[in-house]
Amino acid sequence: MRNLILFIRRYFHFLLFLAIEAICLSRVFSQNPFQQAWFLQFSEEWMGRLYQHYADVMQYFHLRQVNDSLLAENARLRNELLQDFSVADTSRRIIRDTAHHRQYAYLPAQVVNNSIIHAANYITIHRGRMEGVHAHMGVVSSAGVAGVVVRASDHYALVMSVLHKDFRLSVRLKRTGDIGYVRWDGENPATALLSDIPRSVTLYKNDTVVTSGFSVMFPPDIPVGYVEKVGQQPASNFQVARIRLATPFSRLSYVYVIENLQAPEQLQVESNLPSSP
Amino acid sequence: MSELLKNIIRFVLLMFVQVFILNHIMLSGLVQPYLYLLFILLLPFQTPRALLLILGTATGWVLDNFMHTPGLHAAACAAIAYLRPFLIGMLSPQGGFEDTTRAPSPLTMGTGKFIFYASVLVLIHHLIYFSLEVFNFQSTQYLILKILCSTLVTLLLIFVYGLLFFEKRLRRR
Repeated sequence: MRNLILFIRRYFHFLLFLAIEAICLSRVFSQNPFQQAWFLQFSEEWMGRLYQHYADVMQYFHLRQVNDSLLAENARLRNELLQDFSVADTSRRIIRDTAHHRQYAYLPAQVVNNSIIHAANYITIHRGRMEGVHAHMGVVSSAGVAGVVVRASDHYALVMSVLHKDFRLSVRLKRTGDIGYVRWDGENPATALLSDIPRSVTLYKNDTVVTSGFSVMFPPDIPVGYVEKVGQQPASNFQVARIRLATPFSRLSYVYVIENLQAPEQLQVESNLPSSP
Repeated sequence: MSELLKNIIRFVLLMFVQVFILNHIMLSGLVQPYLYLLFILLLPFQTPRALLLILGTATGWVLDNFMHTPGLHAAACAAIAYLRPFLIGMLSPQGGFEDTTRAPSPLTMGTGKFIFYASVLVLIHHLIYFSLEVFNFQSTQYLILKILCSTLVTLLLIFVYGLLFFEKRLRRR
């Protein structure tokens, strides 16, 4: 016993160091971005407030680009107004649209913090639980996919950016309909990698890559990026391509959080897999 | 100004610069300077080792909270806080540095020794941080290049900090 105490006293600093490293490393490797720790929500709210002050100042420098993108989006939405289309002859029969239920609702949110230079990048937005934001909701910019909410405090939410080493997104090639997935390789915040497209499909430059709609987070046909360069992978049935991301992550000011109103239903159906057919 | 107050101000200043300026500057994918670790480098010589470890870990932990990186900076900072006394022991002349109430600086250690001291600790910090951050994600070559480039830029920033804040000559107290 005495020897043990002597040993601990002799190597106290080393043991303290080992204990600290063990705690840190266990946190690094047990990392689950969706983990809900009460402490993190606590700090999230405070960090969010701090970052908001910063964003309020920095926003002035981006007003021009924000204006441009809002203008472009306004133009696009105006073009979709119903009053701009002439309606087919409706005097003969009345069509009551009972086939369409609203599935996706969009919630605008201000970006208060955003990083693009690390291996695991996050976006903080000024919308939280009070406004109905919760984990696993998709986030898009006016140009394309931006990320997925990982946790929310009362007024802020933390969004895992597409520029995150653990981000995977199921996508579809718009021209042919082939399914693949997109991940970020960490080298350039403007591009990402498209994988799992069969070799039989010819990829062209500027082919549009859109969301597949398989996950409950994103509706189908939201732009993800555009094919830039097709890589060679001789020993595989699949090809890898570098795509230019649709969302300009370096100047993200406003995003939309997507709520899938039918998500609970889809998840419930998918979770109860029958044991035998 | 008391040493304690000086260190608190330095901590706040370095954290501010790191979180609101350096974290938003993108020179290239290869360069990510982490100047905040200068706080650990400049703690006084006589700081007890246990306190040094705890302060170092706390520093990393604060930045972890800002950057949403669980434990990455804390792990790297704990390592340099633990290794700091060994390095200082190695570099100190016989009988230790003259004025132990002071903090490491080019003046108290000698410029050459201070550069060595800073380079080794910054390199170790970046080595641990970037290795953990991109674990199996980017190529090893890219990782090594990233560590070296970031270390150089961090050292350059420490030099700039030195021009601004380090004492030019010993003050009588």
